[in-house]
Amino acid sequence: MATTTATISLNSSDILSQAISLSSTMTLYKGGTTATGLEQMNYHRVIVPIDDYGGATATQFDLIPESASLANNSNYLYICNKNTDVTHYVTISIGAEVIGSLYAGDFMFIPWSNDVTDTQGATDPSGNDTSIEVQAFVASATLEYALFHVGETLLTAGDS
Amino acid sequence: MATTTATITLSSADIADNNISLSNTATLTNAGNDTGMTKTTGLTRVTLESTSPVVLIDAGATTRLNTISRGKIYIKNLNDRGDGTKFVTVEMDASAPVEIGRLYGGDFCFFPFDGSAGNDIGLDPSDGTSTTLEYIIFFE
Repeated sequence: MATTTATISLNSSDILSQAISLSSTMTLYKGGTTATGLEQMNYHRVIVPIDDYGGATATQFDLIPESASLANNSNYLYICNKNTDVTHYVTISIGAEVIGSLYAGDFMFIPWSNDVTDTQGATDPSGNDTSIEVQAFVASATLEYALFHVGETLLTAGDS
Repeated sequence: MATTTATITLSSADIADNNISLSNTATLTNAGNDTGMTKTTGLTRVTLESTSPVVLIDAGATTRLNTISRGKIYIKNLNDRGDGTKFVTVEMDASAPVEIGRLYGGDFCFFPFDGSAGNDIGLDPSDGTSTTLEYIIFFE
């Protein structure tokens, strides 16, 4: 097993009359275990293209496809929008449900249980209900994301 | 306006051959500009005592004198990890819940939400274990 930690701090000296300073650290464990750390991770940088300025036909992409290997367990996802123009943003969704918008410089850190309920194939998941999806608005967006996870479905090579 | 920052660090010395240390700081601003968010719920502690799902943020509804719309939320499960089988599922849309993921004891999450209709944020305990959580929302 591996030991991976996530630490977050939230600070403000002026949003209230007293300063806010919160800090927390957690260890990324596998679900259903007392202290077995996650052993697998993917760390990516991707440019999400925009093909229609905020229009209804703009493309929503699968950032992380759902997978039976990830289902109903502990996976932790970090996504950061690396753009710098404050008007640029992406929406992050699970299936059709928008979680929220990541503007330039924003990040998010969530657990992802990948609650697969649709039928899916081994090489081409037909169910798309719990994939992490992304859509860019205003401009193409450069994202970095890291998924710490319990498993990955490796595809059988076509020439094996 | 106010200046509020969120900093995250993800690190591991042994999940790969080389150390991993990802770190980022974001200033919490209103959508599409660099004006700092000026409202917050403050840090709030709640305890769940049953298996019934609860709505943590009723998107669009007026609570605490403000309509909580677009914002950022931090939630932490303060329970001990215990045997590792008890958790609270964070969900979107109370009317047709969509799972985000599970907060086991000691876990936290931080994410933006849009606060529009159907953007409720809910909590669904895995069992009736008394579970204490803390959350804070920064919003426009």
